[in-house]
Amino acid sequence: MIGNPSLIARDYMKYGQSATCPIIDMHGHFGPFYGGYLPAAPLEAMLAALERAGVLRIVVSAHEALFSDPVSGNAQVQEAIDMQPGHFLGYWLVNPNHRKLVTTAPADFERARGFIGFKFLPDYHTVPVTDPRYAPVLEYANDRRLPILIHTWGGSGFDSPQIIEETAEQYPNATLIMGHSGFGDWENAARVAAEYPNVYLELTAVYVAHDWSMLPTGSGTPVPFLPCLQVNGIIEYLVERAGSKKILYGTDMPWYSPHFAAGAVLFARIDDEARHDILHRNAERLLESLTHASK
Amino acid sequence: MRFFDCNCSFGESARPPFRYARTPAELLEEMDFCGIDRALACHAGMRFSSPVIWNEKCSDGCAASSRLEPAWAILPAQTGEQPPIDEFLAAMKAHNIRALWAFPDEHRYPLNRLAFGELLEALVAHRIPLFVKQNLVAIGELLKECPNLTVVAANQGPHSIERYLRPVMDAFPRVYIDTSSYIVQGTLEECCERYGPERLLFGTAFPNNCSGGALLQLARAAISDPAKAAIASVNLERLLGEVKL
Repeated sequence: MIGNPSLIARDYMKYGQSATCPIIDMHGHFGPFYGGYLPAAPLEAMLAALERAGVLRIVVSAHEALFSDPVSGNAQVQEAIDMQPGHFLGYWLVNPNHRKLVTTAPADFERARGFIGFKFLPDYHTVPVTDPRYAPVLEYANDRRLPILIHTWGGSGFDSPQIIEETAEQYPNATLIMGHSGFGDWENAARVAAEYPNVYLELTAVYVAHDWSMLPTGSGTPVPFLPCLQVNGIIEYLVERAGSKKILYGTDMPWYSPHFAAGAVLFARIDDEARHDILHRNAERLLESLTHASK
Repeated sequence: MRFFDCNCSFGESARPPFRYARTPAELLEEMDFCGIDRALACHAGMRFSSPVIWNEKCSDGCAASSRLEPAWAILPAQTGEQPPIDEFLAAMKAHNIRALWAFPDEHRYPLNRLAFGELLEALVAHRIPLFVKQNLVAIGELLKECPNLTVVAANQGPHSIERYLRPVMDAFPRVYIDTSSYIVQGTLEECCERYGPERLLFGTAFPNNCSGGALLQLARAAISDPAKAAIASVNLERLLGEVKL
C-alpha cells in the first residue's frame, strides 16, 4: 500500500496519467543521438510514450540542430510540429559557432510555425551565454518576452547559475529557463530563480545521480561536467527556496522516461498544489502568455 | 504488485543528499511512503567509509525489521582488511548475508581474478550475487575471467548505455541490471523483449536517486503484468533463494 496521500500520485500509479493533472514537458529533443541509442528517437515511439504518460505538449529542439547542422535540425523540428500541431512546439536552436545563422535567427524564427522561443547549448558549443555572439537573439527575446531554454550546469564556465544571473540582469524581459536547474549547484540555481522573476528552473535529469565514472568516456563534453552523486530531496529544496511556481517539468525526451520524471515529482515531499505547478500549470501560464504576446 | 528494492541505503555520509534516511526506521518510512515492501539495503558507510566497520553495522541496523535484508561490501583479501575467505563466508552465513556489493572505483581496487580470485570462485560456487558499481567495460572484463559469476550491474547512470550493455548481456547470461537509473525511455521495454524480464531487478538507488522515479517507471512500463511482477520482486527473491551458504 502506498503511504503517499497524493491523489495525483495514485492516479499516475494506477492509470499512468491523471485527468486532473496532465503534463507539459518544457525540455524535449527530437531524433537520434550520436552518443547513444535512444529507442524513442523515432517520432511514433516518442508519441506513444508521451501519450502513455498523459503529456499534452512538449517543446523540443532537434539533436541534429544541437550537435550537427542547425539548419537541417531546425527544419526537422518544423516538420514534427507540422505533423503534430499543438502537441509538439519548438525551440529554435542557436549555435553561436555559426555566426551568420545567429544574426538571421530572429527572422528565421519569425518565419517558422509553432516555435515558442530559442534553445542554447553553451557547454557543448563552448561559448558562454554572456558572449556577444548570443546578443542578437537575447535582445530579440528580451524585446518580445520570449523564453530561451538554456542548458545549465554547476561550475560551468559557459552556463553556470552565476552566468544566468548576469544574463537575467541584462535581459530582464527574456524568460530564461535553466535546463537541468544548474545541475549540481542547486544553491545558486535556486537563489537565482528566487531573485529574478524572469528565471525558471527546469527539472530534466535533476531526479537521478550523475556519476561520470560510470561511462568509460566520462561526460563526453568538451569540458568535463561536474558529477553529483546524490540527488534525492533536490526537488523539495528547489520548491522551498525558489517556490513551486518557478519550476518546470522536463525530460530531454526521447532521453528520459516521462514516468520516471513524473514519479520523482509525485513522490517528492511536496503538496499537490506544487505538483500541479511543476507538472503543468507553470508551463501553461508561460505558453498562454506567449499566445497573448503573438496576438 | 510487491516491490523488493535491490538497491538502497541508510546512514550518514560526508556529503549527504538533501533528504535521506539516517536510520533504518527512516528508510522504512520512505518505503512506506512509496509502497515498497522489502529492501536489500546497504549502509552508506560501506561505500563512503569502510566495509570493515560498516558491514556488520549494516546487519545490526537491518535487524530492526524483517522487511530489510542487509548486503555487505567486499575488499581484496591481500590487505587483510577483510578476513580470509572461509571466515568471511562463515560471517556471511552467521549474518544471513545473501548478496555482496563491490565499489571498485570508490574503494580503489581492480575487480578481477588477480585481486579476488578465491572470493570470485566462492561466489560462483555458492551462487552469491555481486552488485557491481563500475562501468560496463570493466564488468565485461571481469566476466571474461569469471563467466559464471552472477553480476548485477548497478547504478549505471542515466545515459544511454545500450551500446555497452548489450554485448555484455548477450555474452553472459548471469548479468542483471538494476532499474534505479535505467531510465532512457524504452530501454527497459526493449531489454525485456530481448532478454526476458528475468534480467532486470527493481532498484531505487535511494537516496542517490528519487525513489518515486523508478517506482512509477516500472509500474507503468509498457510490458505485461507478470513481467512487471518479475522485475519488481520475483527475480531478486529467486536470486537470493539460489544462494547456498
